[in-house]
Amino acid sequence: MVKVLIAGLFLLPWLAAAQAPGAPPAGPRPVPARPDPLMSMLMTQPPTDIPTNVTATAEFDPPVVRPGELSVYRVAFNALEESIAWPDPFPSPTALNLRAGGHGQVMQYGGTGYVPRTCFNYHARATQTGELILPAFVVQVSGRAVTVPAARLVVTASPPPTVPPAPRLLLDILSTNLFVGQPVRVRVMLPSGASGQIQTLAQVQITGESLLVDQGTTRQQISPVVREGRTVPAYSYETTLTALKAGKLSVSAQGFTAGNRFSGPIIISGNMTMPGGLPQFTLVDCDPVELNVRSLPREGELPGFTGAIGRLSLDPPTATPSVVCVGDTLKLSVTVRGDGSLARLPAPPPPTTRDWQIFSGATEAAPSPMPGTPSGAAFSAITFTYAMIPLTETLRATPAIPFCYFDPARATYVSLPIPSVPLTVKASPTPADLAALFHPDADPGGSEKEPVLSDLAGSPGLTASSLVPVECRAWFPLVQCAPGLLFAALWGWDRRRRYLERHPEVLLRRRARRALRGERRAMRRAARAGDAPAFAAAAVNAMRVACAPHYPAEPRALVGADVLALLPAKDPAAAPPFDLESGPFDMAERAPEDPSVAADARCAEMVRRCFTVTDAARFGAAAADASALLPLEPEIEKLLTRLEVKLC
Amino acid sequence: MLAGLCQSLAATWAGSSVLASRWRRGFGMGVVGTIVLGMVLLSSAAARAGVSPVVSEGPSGNQSAAAGRPLSAAALFREGVEAYRGGDCAGAGRAFRESAARQPASGTLQNLGNAEWLRGQSGLAILAWEQALWLDPLNGSARNNLRFARKNVQLEAPELAWYEVISTWLPMNYWPWITGASLWFAVGIGLLPGIFRLRRATWHQALAAVGLMVFLLSVPAHLGVLSRTRLGFVLQKDTLLRLTPTQQGQVITRLAAGDPARIERFRAGFVLVRTSRSLGWIEADRFALICPR
Repeated sequence: MVKVLIAGLFLLPWLAAAQAPGAPPAGPRPVPARPDPLMSMLMTQPPTDIPTNVTATAEFDPPVVRPGELSVYRVAFNALEESIAWPDPFPSPTALNLRAGGHGQVMQYGGTGYVPRTCFNYHARATQTGELILPAFVVQVSGRAVTVPAARLVVTASPPPTVPPAPRLLLDILSTNLFVGQPVRVRVMLPSGASGQIQTLAQVQITGESLLVDQGTTRQQISPVVREGRTVPAYSYETTLTALKAGKLSVSAQGFTAGNRFSGPIIISGNMTMPGGLPQFTLVDCDPVELNVRSLPREGELPGFTGAIGRLSLDPPTATPSVVCVGDTLKLSVTVRGDGSLARLPAPPPPTTRDWQIFSGATEAAPSPMPGTPSGAAFSAITFTYAMIPLTETLRATPAIPFCYFDPARATYVSLPIPSVPLTVKASPTPADLAALFHPDADPGGSEKEPVLSDLAGSPGLTASSLVPVECRAWFPLVQCAPGLLFAALWGWDRRRRYLERHPEVLLRRRARRALRGERRAMRRAARAGDAPAFAAAAVNAMRVACAPHYPAEPRALVGADVLALLPAKDPAAAPPFDLESGPFDMAERAPEDPSVAADARCAEMVRRCFTVTDAARFGAAAADASALLPLEPEIEKLLTRLEVKLC
Repeated sequence: MLAGLCQSLAATWAGSSVLASRWRRGFGMGVVGTIVLGMVLLSSAAARAGVSPVVSEGPSGNQSAAAGRPLSAAALFREGVEAYRGGDCAGAGRAFRESAARQPASGTLQNLGNAEWLRGQSGLAILAWEQALWLDPLNGSARNNLRFARKNVQLEAPELAWYEVISTWLPMNYWPWITGASLWFAVGIGLLPGIFRLRRATWHQALAAVGLMVFLLSVPAHLGVLSRTRLGFVLQKDTLLRLTPTQQGQVITRLAAGDPARIERFRAGFVLVRTSRSLGWIEADRFALICPR
């Protein structure tokens, strides 16, 4: 046991080291990773040095000119172009005609690394002799003020012959009358100076709006050119330019002089002298050239036009193999040659036919030999390749593919179809399911079509008073409440109706009150007219109507005793019960000493008299005198009021 | 109908049971028909007021600059079409915008979107097409244009909840009317037979159930319309989404023109919007709702 513990104590450090997070895993030791070659290459490049102390230089080149002669005002910074807030417009003295030229940035080697150099060119022309000084001014560079020093220009009628003219670029465009999409060769030349030394250019740019510069077709050469009657060596930079918009387009060129340094292949011919030492990287530019660009005509366009402009020709197409089976693939190749660059010419779309399945061709631009090409185009030929699958064995040739180009010289479209190629199609040894090949574009899933901007709507379509929905407007809840109110009213009406059906006396009393009011109005009219019989009849009718609901009975069936039985007593409990057999009771017999009872007795007497008079007028032989009832109108009104109250 | 109602009431109050019963039955049927017809007429009248297929030809306050005559929405529409055909997209946009302000119409807004798109105003174009669909979800051209625009400028469509998707099946003003009409129809069918003492029939219950079902189905869409009123679009590109409603607020991200967002609240020239990824404040004049407030 003790031995085991001692052994454990010795093994403990080793185990702890093995369980440590940084402990290497057991097994073979890994091979150290090789450094990334790309990273190594980047690390070996000289660094880019962005100076913190930005300085600016300004000069006129040449500093001495004749009146009207061009001098380039050149301002240079050792800073990135993006960091310079160049004043726009540039303030210029009135005696000096300044026009903006090129501006750009180049990285030059400064001993320990690359240093940016940014130049701004202005073309200056002075009309009067004298000394012109462009004063110093301040430019913001990365938020800091940098003073551009003053520059001095001497305008004299006889400048010293030792002052060389400023180096200028020459922009040579093969044709300045173009069509949109027509490629044209452009040559930028930098002739040698008076000393005969030739310099190359770096970062050549063709500037202008709506222009496409094909960087893939550039080439450079140094060759002798004839200038002002003298043959001088000149550096040439050629490329292809394509105008993208119709109208007047301005084109200019600029570049930095690079001494004897050049990038890419260059052709040198003739005798020349190249300067040694480090290049100066001077920004040189040229006067702009105006292009007259026209749109392609719409009329006369032929099938198969894919933007080819120039003068084109076709090599005989070839089909390989020439003997195929149904369902096998053959390759049709045809080379198109032209007098311009065809590097970006797309292949004409193949025709749609049931007998062939054709995949649109791949294009391959064929570079022309650099020298000897008449127009100097770098890619004056292009080869279209189509993959074709015959679907029947009855075919004897490939289908013709429509193709055309636009001839700018004649301003017309010229048809140049790719002709058929004879071949032999054999039946397939194995039956193939050609249904899918017949309709290769059919998509059972119904894939969505590529959306395009639709045309205008012909009519305003569905309109609304507002974009705000109706439920957000104030009147909408009221409108929605209207049916609810209607239903509530109907429900209330139904409740009332059911109540009246359970209590018909309510209706009878209401009707009796209404009839009583009518009879009372008739009674008053009769009283005012002094018509005693009518007064008596109306009074009796009113009493009958007021008392009928209490029995209930038809009003016309009531007699005076019925009314007397309902006359209100002072103490209804004390009043004797009404008995139809005993007839009307005498109120005076009940309590003659009570004044109210006496009044009731007078009231009863009044009722009796009314009924007596009306009964006599109705049933008697001679009409009774009713005139005595007219003075009783107030008492009768009181009685009727009491009866009406009893109806409520 | 009013005379029938009066006679019925008079007969009821007069206590003439036979006559009252006859009039009650006729009155009950008449009132049911009146309510249903009234609801239909009310719905159609309000719909005509709210969503009318007829172009308003009435005079407007706008004056033609050339002739000094008032221009109607239809005249402005035609003016916009002519300007568009002539290549004057700015003029077409102005005319379509005035026409839409005078009488919002799906086709007018679709054309406004086309004009704004050709002017490079993708935010305004998307807003106009969305408003065209807001008025008429069956406008296939506006829907196609939205797909086209969003594919071109790499924008996402607004994310809609399920009830909002349902609300896009019909024009926005149809849902509240359907909701209200179906509710009161169900209530009426359940209430009126008892009031008018009609014998309870199976078809009464069936119609009430149908009305209730339509009501319940239309309520989510109705709510979807309401929630979609908070949906809007960024009008200008590189709109800054800030953490606070101030010009110095920390920038969370930049929104592209046409990006959808839902408005949360307003504050001093800023709106708090919720995009699919974040929540923040943007300047109010750089954002517009489908349904302007």
